[in-house]
Amino acid sequence: MVAAAQHPNIELITYAEVQKVAGYIGNFTVTVKKKAKYVDWDLCTGCGTCIEKCPSKKIKDEFELGMGSRTAIHKLFPQAVPGKPYIDAEHCTKLTKGKCGVCEKICPTDAIRFDDQDEYVDIDVGAIVMATGYDLFDWTEAYGEYGYGKYPDVIDSLQFERLSSSGGPTGGAIRRPSDGKEPKCVAFIKCVGSRDDTKGKSYCSRACCMYTAKHAYQVKTKIEDSEAYVFYMDVRTAGKNYEEFYQRSLDAGAKYIRGRVSKIYQRGDKLVLKTEDTLLGMPMEVEVDLVVLATAMVPAEGAKELAKTIGFSTDKDGFYQEAHPKLQPVETFAAGVYLAGTCQGPKDIPDTVAQASASAAKVLGLLTRDEYATDPMTSEVDPGKCSGCGFCVPICPYKAISLVDIEERGAEGPFTRQVAQVNASLCQGCGACLPACRTSALDLKGFTDEQLVAEVDALCL
Amino acid sequence: MRKRVGVFVCDCGTNIASVVDTEQVAEAARQIPGVVFSTTYKYMCSDPGQEMIRNAIQEHDLEQVVVASCSPRMHENTFRRAVEAGGINPYLFEQVNIREQVSWVHTDKNMATLKAIDLVRMGVNKVLHNQPLQISTIPVTKKAMVIGGGIAGMQAALDIAEAGYSVVIVEKEASIGGKMTQLDKTFPTLDCAA
Repeated sequence: MVAAAQHPNIELITYAEVQKVAGYIGNFTVTVKKKAKYVDWDLCTGCGTCIEKCPSKKIKDEFELGMGSRTAIHKLFPQAVPGKPYIDAEHCTKLTKGKCGVCEKICPTDAIRFDDQDEYVDIDVGAIVMATGYDLFDWTEAYGEYGYGKYPDVIDSLQFERLSSSGGPTGGAIRRPSDGKEPKCVAFIKCVGSRDDTKGKSYCSRACCMYTAKHAYQVKTKIEDSEAYVFYMDVRTAGKNYEEFYQRSLDAGAKYIRGRVSKIYQRGDKLVLKTEDTLLGMPMEVEVDLVVLATAMVPAEGAKELAKTIGFSTDKDGFYQEAHPKLQPVETFAAGVYLAGTCQGPKDIPDTVAQASASAAKVLGLLTRDEYATDPMTSEVDPGKCSGCGFCVPICPYKAISLVDIEERGAEGPFTRQVAQVNASLCQGCGACLPACRTSALDLKGFTDEQLVAEVDALCL
Repeated sequence: MRKRVGVFVCDCGTNIASVVDTEQVAEAARQIPGVVFSTTYKYMCSDPGQEMIRNAIQEHDLEQVVVASCSPRMHENTFRRAVEAGGINPYLFEQVNIREQVSWVHTDKNMATLKAIDLVRMGVNKVLHNQPLQISTIPVTKKAMVIGGGIAGMQAALDIAEAGYSVVIVEKEASIGGKMTQLDKTFPTLDCAA
C-alpha cells in the first residue's frame, strides 16, 4: 500500500468513481468524479484531532462490517493510505442539520471545508486496467435455513477476519457478536452461495477452502480447549503449499465433516446445526457458540455498470469477460482495457497478484510503442446509401458508431442530413451493425457482401 | 487484379491428415479456376512451412494465397505475416479451417475430404474478391489508469510505474488497499495482509 502511495509515477485518486470513458486504445479520456471529502487534504496533516473530538461517535462502521462504531469524520481504518480523514456527509450533523462544526473549530491547519463539492476531472490515458475486485454474496437474502441473518452469532468469513485481526473491533480476540463471550465451539460452513445452483452461484469461489482452513486453525490455536468443525462438500487445495496448510489445520485439531448443514436454530445461548455426516451416512446435530459462513465471491457492486460505461462485456455471473479463456486471460473485448484480479472471476491472492502483473505486462507492451497499428477489417459506411436511421448506433458493443451531419445539395439548395460514421479505432470488426442496416449502407472490410456471396457461389454454382 | 492463387494444404501432423486426404485436396485445388499452384506440408505454420509459402509466391508469381489448415484464431496472423514477407498484401490471404471444421468433427474420410475441397473452393473464390487493406496507426498516450486500488490494482500500478510510466489509481473508497486491508493473516504463510 505504502509502496504504491510513495511511488513517484503513481497518482492516487481515492474516494472517486469513473463516470465516463471516451476514446479508444491508446487514446482514452476518462472522466473521474472526485467525491466531496469536506477536508482539504493538501492542508490536512492527518493528526486525527478531529476524529477524536467528533461527537457523532455511534455510526456503524462499514469497515468493521457493522461490528464496531466510528465517527462522522473518520479514516476508513487507522492505517489508511492516504492517511487523511474525510466527512461522511450522510451522518455529519453539521452537513445534515447545520449544527456542530467542532472539527472546523479544532483543526490546527484549517483544513475543514463544509462547502466542498464533487469535482469532475478528465484524464487522458493510453490503457486501462480493471481491478474492481469482489463483494461477498449476500447470504441473508437467500439462506433461510441459516436464519436470514437474524442470529447475531451466524457471521460471514470477512466478519471473522475482522474479529481475528489485531486491528479489528475486538483487538484480535475472537468474540461472539451477541454477548462478547469467547466461543469455545465454532462451526464453519463452506460453499455458502458457491456451487449452489438453487440459492446462489454455480461456480466455486476458489479461496474459501483455504481461508476456512486458516480460520479453523486460528480458532484451535487462539482459543484454549476449543472445537472447530468444518462442514464441507469437498476440500479443494490446488495451490502451492495449500494441501500442507490444510494438513496443518487438521493437525491442530480441526474436525472436518463432509455434509451440508440443513438448518441452524437457537437453543439457549447456543446455535444448533442439523446436518449429516455423509461419509458415515449418519444424521448429526452439533451445538456451537459461533457459526462462520464461507460465502461466495460475487462481482463488486457497480462493476457491471462500469463495464457498460467503458464498453466491454461481462459473463453470466457478472464477472468481466476475458477475450479468450486460455490464450487471452487478461484482455477484454475492448482493445486497451485489461483485467486484474477478482473482477474477472473468483481467485486467491497469489493468482490475483500474478494476473495483475500479467495485465501490467500487456499495458507496457502498448505504452512502450509510439504508435499502435489497428486492424483494417472494420465496418465502413457508404454515406450515399445511409438513411441516418441510427439503428446501428445502439447495436455496436464498442460504441464505434455515431451520427454526424453532412452537407448535401438538393433541388432547393444545400441542406444538412445525418449519416452514420464508424470510428475505425474503436471498431473491432464484429459485424453486429451490418444486419441492422436496412439500406445496406454498412459493409465490413474483409467480409464484404460481395466476398461472402462469392464464397456461397463457389458451392452453389 | 490478376488471378494467381496459391493453395497450401496443411497436414497438421496427423490432426488433419489422418482424416482428410490432403494430397487429394491439393490436387483438386489445382483444378479451381484462378489457382496456379498448390501443395501440402506436414506443418504449414512451422518455419519451413512459412518459407514454402514465401518461396512459392516468388517462384510462381502468386497474387493471392489460401492456406487450408486450422482455425484462423490460431494462425491467421502467422500466415498473414508469411504472406506479407513474400511480398503480397497480407489481406489478399484467406485461411480455410479444415481441422476444427473438418478433421476433428468427421470420421468418414472420403466425405471429409470432399468437404475440405468444398471449403477450399469457397476460400479461393473469396480471396479472388479480396481487396488489399492498409493497416493504419494511431498515437499512444503513455499513461495508464488502474480502476480499483486493491491488491490487484496496486500490483498492476506498481509494475507499470516501475517500468517508468505514469499511472493513476482511481479508488472508490477513501483509502487504497481494498479487501486485503480487512483480512487478518493470509494463507498459506500466515503473514499479515497490510
